[in-house]
Amino acid sequence: MDDTLMPNHSFRKYILTLGLLLLIAGTGLIAGSALASRNTAPADQASPIHPQFALLDAAGNNVLDSGQPVSTMKTCGECHDTTFIASHSFHSDLGLTDFTAPGAVEGGRPWDQSNGLFGKWNPLTYRYLSAEGDERLDLSTADWLMTFAARVVGGGPAVASRTGSPLTEGDPASAGWDWQQSGVMEMDCFLCHLTQPNNTARVEAIQSGQFGWANTATLDGTGIVEASDSGWQWNAAAFDADGKLAAEFVAIQDPTNENCAQCHGVVHTDPETPLVVTGCALDEWQTATTGQVIAAQKISNSGVNLSDKEDLARSWDIHAERGLKCTDCHYSLNNPAYYQADTESQLEHLSFDPRRLEIGEYLQMPDHNLARGQSAQFTVAPETKATMRRCDSCHDAASTHDWLPYAEQHMQEVACESCHIPELYAPAVQQYDWTVLQADGQPRSECRGVEGADGGAPTGTLNDLVTGYQPVLLSRQNVDGAAMYGDAMLAPYNLVAAWYWVYDSANGPRPVALADLQAAWLVDDAYAPEILELFDANGDGTLDGGELVINTPAKQALISGRLAALGLANPHIVGEIQPYSINHNVTRGEWAVQDCQACHNDASRVTQPIELASYVPGDVMPEFVQDANTVTEGSLYTEGNALYYQPTTKDQRLYIFGHSRVGWIDGFGALFFVGVLLGVAGHGGLRFYMALRSPHHKPQVKKVYLYAVYERFWHWLQTFAIVLLLFTGLIIHRPDIFGFFSFRYVVIIHNVLAVLLVINAALSLFYHLVSGEIQQFIPRPYGFFDQAIVQAKFYLQGIFKGGPHPFEKTREKKMNPLQQATYFGILNVLLPLQILTGALMWSVEKWPQIANLFGGLPFLAPFHSLIAWTFAAFIVGHVYLTTTGHKPLGAIEAMMNGWDEVEVHTPGEPAPAMNESANPR
Amino acid sequence: MKKFLPVWLIGLGVTLAVIIIPIAIFWPKAAQAQDDPWAEVPERAVHTSHADIIKGPLDTPQQVTQACLDCHPQAAQDVMATTHWTWESQPFEVAWRDEPVTIGKINQINNFCIGSQGNQKKCMTCHTGYGWQEGAEYDFSNALNVDCLVCHADTSAYAKGEYGNPAPGIDLLAAAKSVRAPTRDNCGKCHFDGGGGNGVKHGDLDESLYFPTENLDVHMGGQDFLCTDCHQAEDHQIKGRMVADNMTIAPQEQVACTDCHAAAPHDDQRINNHTQTVACQTCHIPAMAVEDPTKVFWDWSTAGQDLPDDHYTYLKIKGNFVYDKNFAPTYLWFNGNLSYRYLLGDTIDPTQPTYINKPAGDINDPTAKIFPFKLHIAKQPYDTVYNYLLQPITAGDNGYWTNFDWDNAFRLAEAVTGLKYSGQYGFAETWMYWPTTHMVQPKENALQCNNCHGAESRLDWKALGYPGDPMEWGGRFDNK
Repeated sequence: MDDTLMPNHSFRKYILTLGLLLLIAGTGLIAGSALASRNTAPADQASPIHPQFALLDAAGNNVLDSGQPVSTMKTCGECHDTTFIASHSFHSDLGLTDFTAPGAVEGGRPWDQSNGLFGKWNPLTYRYLSAEGDERLDLSTADWLMTFAARVVGGGPAVASRTGSPLTEGDPASAGWDWQQSGVMEMDCFLCHLTQPNNTARVEAIQSGQFGWANTATLDGTGIVEASDSGWQWNAAAFDADGKLAAEFVAIQDPTNENCAQCHGVVHTDPETPLVVTGCALDEWQTATTGQVIAAQKISNSGVNLSDKEDLARSWDIHAERGLKCTDCHYSLNNPAYYQADTESQLEHLSFDPRRLEIGEYLQMPDHNLARGQSAQFTVAPETKATMRRCDSCHDAASTHDWLPYAEQHMQEVACESCHIPELYAPAVQQYDWTVLQADGQPRSECRGVEGADGGAPTGTLNDLVTGYQPVLLSRQNVDGAAMYGDAMLAPYNLVAAWYWVYDSANGPRPVALADLQAAWLVDDAYAPEILELFDANGDGTLDGGELVINTPAKQALISGRLAALGLANPHIVGEIQPYSINHNVTRGEWAVQDCQACHNDASRVTQPIELASYVPGDVMPEFVQDANTVTEGSLYTEGNALYYQPTTKDQRLYIFGHSRVGWIDGFGALFFVGVLLGVAGHGGLRFYMALRSPHHKPQVKKVYLYAVYERFWHWLQTFAIVLLLFTGLIIHRPDIFGFFSFRYVVIIHNVLAVLLVINAALSLFYHLVSGEIQQFIPRPYGFFDQAIVQAKFYLQGIFKGGPHPFEKTREKKMNPLQQATYFGILNVLLPLQILTGALMWSVEKWPQIANLFGGLPFLAPFHSLIAWTFAAFIVGHVYLTTTGHKPLGAIEAMMNGWDEVEVHTPGEPAPAMNESANPR
Repeated sequence: MKKFLPVWLIGLGVTLAVIIIPIAIFWPKAAQAQDDPWAEVPERAVHTSHADIIKGPLDTPQQVTQACLDCHPQAAQDVMATTHWTWESQPFEVAWRDEPVTIGKINQINNFCIGSQGNQKKCMTCHTGYGWQEGAEYDFSNALNVDCLVCHADTSAYAKGEYGNPAPGIDLLAAAKSVRAPTRDNCGKCHFDGGGGNGVKHGDLDESLYFPTENLDVHMGGQDFLCTDCHQAEDHQIKGRMVADNMTIAPQEQVACTDCHAAAPHDDQRINNHTQTVACQTCHIPAMAVEDPTKVFWDWSTAGQDLPDDHYTYLKIKGNFVYDKNFAPTYLWFNGNLSYRYLLGDTIDPTQPTYINKPAGDINDPTAKIFPFKLHIAKQPYDTVYNYLLQPITAGDNGYWTNFDWDNAFRLAEAVTGLKYSGQYGFAETWMYWPTTHMVQPKENALQCNNCHGAESRLDWKALGYPGDPMEWGGRFDNK
């Protein structure tokens, strides 16, 4: 037999292991089973390509010899340019480079000192890195490192003071801290490049003030180093004879999603284990603030207690599902595989520049500024914003959106995320209220997208029912300005509102330090008696959710008084709203927003309000932060106790068909239409009434061939076109009323009909010009007014008495003067205007600049509606007047057959205007 | 002049045409033509009750068959041309034998109950005939021995017993009156319980399919399919072949997903691009033995001990087992044929696993696709002198199951199989692959990208012949 048929080792291993387990569990009787003889193969080496290396301490000595903590800068610096790396990393810098005096940060709060984690205050984490010279201190640099341990990667402010000098030379911002003794924390390469870094041990080391050992602690559990009572001990067994790490311990790799997840949020990679997300815990920062979860798993297969989960057979994130890693989009900016010139320096004739770094050069000096988007919340290192490829860098949207009318227009105004991240399926922070403290010294906070059991407050456990939430759409000012499609587009956000106490220090406003806040609220770990007395409405000795709120002037006065008693000047409540960009959890087309009426409707996603808070602390209306690249000119409003924000289409000068409308135009148009309808009804009724009372005028009639075939054809084509245009236009205008028609198809019909109408009008004009029939439409100046008055008199008087028509209708002169005037207006003014506005609206997709010359859609569209109303009114009048012949339906029949019965004006009773009209031409 | 059509009617037609035609031209193109699998699903025959047609008395099963043949004279001849009757394939040329060979339950072995020769007493319970006994030539031309009832009688009224004869106590008249087109119960009696019990052999066919949920089998559970809706029969030749009992299978003899479904039916191009390399089953059968466990390991060498019997772990007559449930298949290249089938007498290397069958195909075979299999591993007896696998007499008279004497079982078999036994035996590991093609789950449950691609892959790309994950290294047809 064929000896090359080798078994599949992993499966065999699996089967045998399983077999062994079952044997033991099931019978436990067969001793020395042959199964036990199978060995397991050694695990794959994590990084077959990375060479072995020695671990060096800060002095450059092997840690095995010195017993000192490992220095990443020295160890990795043997081959890589760690100085370059550490100085090209906003993850490490955290705003230190841009550190400045409080209040000098552009768009920042009066007490912000930088644009990064180190110096930019955040109301969720609340603790404040005290400014130099402040009287009341919150966090020194050392305190700050310990407080934010889990989110600090080392380097930057962990090695240098605010002025840039090494911390080990002393740091005025950490008075009393011995940096020599604690050591400093170099940028921790292991945290992102090790397969199994121990972030917990690292954070513990930082929180205990052992900054110098933090990177060493990251190796805990790898077998390279072990914790002992006397500190960290290097394990000689992990090193070879040359003092280098043994090959199986070299677990160095490109950062995986799990590496990024340590600081950024929930990442789930195992397809077989259900993902579980419970609450908006701040240690999963990006998940907590947005509800974003990076997982390939289908939501329906996850373990989240999510309402209607079984219907969500889509992955949490399509990019994760398709095998993309975080670093595929957030790549090193000089990685030759990904490098792209920024849009400004890109040459017009060059789509790919093959001159790139050699792999070796890149590996030596990899830029650790990672490509990033343009989030509203991360303001650090603004020069690196929008360096990432955008959706359209990889996706050819045009090839997949041919179903979408005005696809380009949509993509100019709407970010891909707005439709492709229709909903988030994990809870996200909604509000933080630091104006009050719970008994445990923490603020009140609430999350959106989650409900507690039995309608109670969420508990952060699997008992909560996750409902998910729809992000709010805000107009994003693209950092790169002239991006592919204009500079502003609608994009999805979570809004987090926060309220807190601010006082005036000698150096300017500052948030009340947590210690002061706790001193004001709590005495001996319990609420101060005065506070309990005022707040505890039901007198049960505790402050539950409904009671722990500053909703009266008395409560506010009590707390501000207690703060003032601590020596804080002018304590007052401030509220702010921070938008959090949502760019992950993208889904495929079938799950994206595809229903036109999601936005093109009276209730539109574009202006869908989002709840900001379930109550407004101190009745202080929050304000949007100033440093987010969003336009937020919508309205804040309260409904009950809850506070909402509703975006406006004005941010982006949007006119959304089916949603936007100008009230007075519709009012005026409708009034005009109804007025004509009523007038016609009154006139017709009177005619009918008079006809019953007085004998009919029975004129002598004769059959005349009035309308040539083409005339009838173009008339009826135009009739159908206009009626259908009005009808489809009405659906587009008010889909909320006519929602049973497909918006998308109606748009197509409307456009096709419009083109038909224009062609028909043009051909008809040509016909009338060439045939000379055009003259019939042109009012003759001579005697026009007299004749018009005669005709008007007929409609107002003669018609009721059954009097004769003042003008004879002939093949050569079909129209009376009033008709001529009406058609002159319609054909020369209204129709061209309607065609023009319609064409301009249509051209917004291809030539928006032309439409913008005329005010863009916000002007053109209402104008188009106004004219449409007058057309509708005209049709009513027009149809009514066709009934004024001697037979009510005679004129319509004539337009169908060509033959009309017209009154013959006998010589005995000459029509007043006969002389002229009878003139043969 | 009276016109044939009023002019305004013509005008109306023209006007409407002028409007409708351009709209039709600009109407958005509908998505690609929808897959319409129902078009290929046959209409089931209307049931004709035989309760009043069959007249008794029917005392022997042969009388039943004769009663059937009175009206269906060709039926037995048709059945006798099928492997359901012959238990043997047509002859195949194989590289390691000089003469063409046949493969079937009649003459070859597997790594479950090993072989039927000499064990007819039990094995013939699943033969579509009556009275096949060991030690006597079976008359394959006797039409009256065709068992119509096993496929057509209500399974509550009929069951087979030893040598393929009706089980004792069966009311043959009642059974005959109950006949109808075969249901899942008829097929399931043998195909769900093959190998001696529920779910033993197949990872994708077991008794959970009698009352399947949609999540278990989208066809039988979701749409109430019968086996015969896909395994359509003409003159009792049923479509669909089992590769364990064949060397090659002509495509027209096999049931394929594409009999009803489009070859690339997904609206996602990325997924459609997989269909030339990945079989439908690979993604759409994410797990085998979803509800009832299936046997994955069988150690004959421990049989015969007086240990407590447990259906799932140890039986004195059979040895130790391992069952598994709801687990991922093994994935191999497969072009629908075998590259090797162990034939009685083939020598083995007892230090290595011996393949009972080996699916054909590799990465360079453009007709091969990655396909899911159940792998059944056994330790079964072999002759340590001649180095070939031995087929014992087990169920037969004085067989191993009676007196637990291996040596005697092999000696008895010597005359039946014609294979010499040296008197020395041992136990060698054998592997047998069972294609997984039933228990197709709803599309929502299909595998996702990351089940095979990326760090948590269930496929061993290098073992399949790829340099690495084709998501990054490119597929076999890519020039990446």
